[in-house]
Amino acid sequence: MSRLTAMLTDPQFWVPVLVLVAGLLVLAWIR
Amino acid sequence: MDPLDAGRLRRLQLAGIASGFTAGAWLGAAEAPTKMVTLGLSPVVISLTMVLGVFLARWSLPALLRGTAAIGADVRQAPHLVVWAVLAGCLWSVANTLTVFAIRDIGLSIAFPLWNANSLLGIVWGAVFFNELRGATWSRRSGVLGGAVLMCAGATLLAVASAAGVPGGHAARGVTAALAAGALWGTMYIPYRKAYLTGMNPLAFVTFFSLGEVGMMTVLALADRGGVASLAAELVGAREVLFWLLLGGFVWVIGDLFQQYAAKYVGISRGIPLSNTNQLWGLVWGLLVFRELLGRGGATYGQVIGGSLLMALGAGAIALASATRPEHDRWTEAAARESRRYGIDPAYVRAGLSGGSVDAATGRRTWLDWVLVGGATGVFVAFALIARLPQLTLAWEWVAGLVIAMVALLAGTGLLLWRTTRFN
Repeated sequence: MSRLTAMLTDPQFWVPVLVLVAGLLVLAWIR
Repeated sequence: MDPLDAGRLRRLQLAGIASGFTAGAWLGAAEAPTKMVTLGLSPVVISLTMVLGVFLARWSLPALLRGTAAIGADVRQAPHLVVWAVLAGCLWSVANTLTVFAIRDIGLSIAFPLWNANSLLGIVWGAVFFNELRGATWSRRSGVLGGAVLMCAGATLLAVASAAGVPGGHAARGVTAALAAGALWGTMYIPYRKAYLTGMNPLAFVTFFSLGEVGMMTVLALADRGGVASLAAELVGAREVLFWLLLGGFVWVIGDLFQQYAAKYVGISRGIPLSNTNQLWGLVWGLLVFRELLGRGGATYGQVIGGSLLMALGAGAIALASATRPEHDRWTEAAARESRRYGIDPAYVRAGLSGGSVDAATGRRTWLDWVLVGGATGVFVAFALIARLPQLTLAWEWVAGLVIAMVALLAGTGLLLWRTTRFN
């Protein structure tokens, strides 16, 4: 498994990504 | 991986706890230079300028302390962590911008405790993903959890006492913004902990963190101001006060560096709450130097004293609940997972976890290091030369006292870190 694949299948990667997307959505809503 | 000997583990824990307290002092003081800015700048532009100061400091301080050659060697060992560092920087910028809107809508007294709950989320992520508090005795778990709750309660009292007034308006929007900021800041520590369990040096991680931070903050500022021209015009118009914001960013970076070492050596479940003592230091600056609560009633001072005591008690409980051998063994298991999953040299991971380095390049400086240090210094000096000292009445004796205390913490903890880890 390459490092890229390891990262993309790592739940510890997707948690911060999803929280970042949610944060941007909240920011777009409150502005 | 071989376990650490008990003496080494104790010294690393002590270095991590001292780093957490020193981080609180310097992060809290970072607000002081920004109070010198009385011009009507937009909050997002203030935030962007501070981040630019952060960027300059984050590329020059690591070059000075460790050298870009050692940072490059770190990245070659674990290049995937650059993505994590940039991601963490983006999380920070969005969270920081959300706090501006939260304060606008619900006021500092309600907003601060909501986003300060990031320490509780950090405890959850630390336990779920990185085996923190696993293998710990109940007394130590209670010390960390109880301490974090006490600190949140103390933070609430301090925020109520220091609030200038509660603005009316969009309560639901403000509460959502504050909770979202706490979620982002609490989650930001996942990349931190991952990088440090893998063995990366904090001085390497922060340089790439700042790329995400400054990139995302620039995008947010451009969106807020409506384009490059209007943003540039606002920055040019404020050039006489930009130095104070850059200085705030620089002070913040020193605090953040210690926060990184705390996250590395005591984990995020303990490191975040200890760094959150910054609220206490921010209040001390406001109270003693800027005389912000002068003339307020006895109730306000009661809240300040009560809140400070609660925060100090909580921080003390966490500091006394440091990790013991069984818990540290579980951290080692989490580190071994990173080594296996990402194909990282186990010797590199082991060295990082024990506060060492396998990198022979440590200590060498190149021309690039001196260009980075000289360039950043030049920018600060240039803005200092055109800076205007605002007409503010400051209690200079308290400025001197607090600066001496901060420098003493910086020197003491810096020496401890150097002796224990050589800044690894």
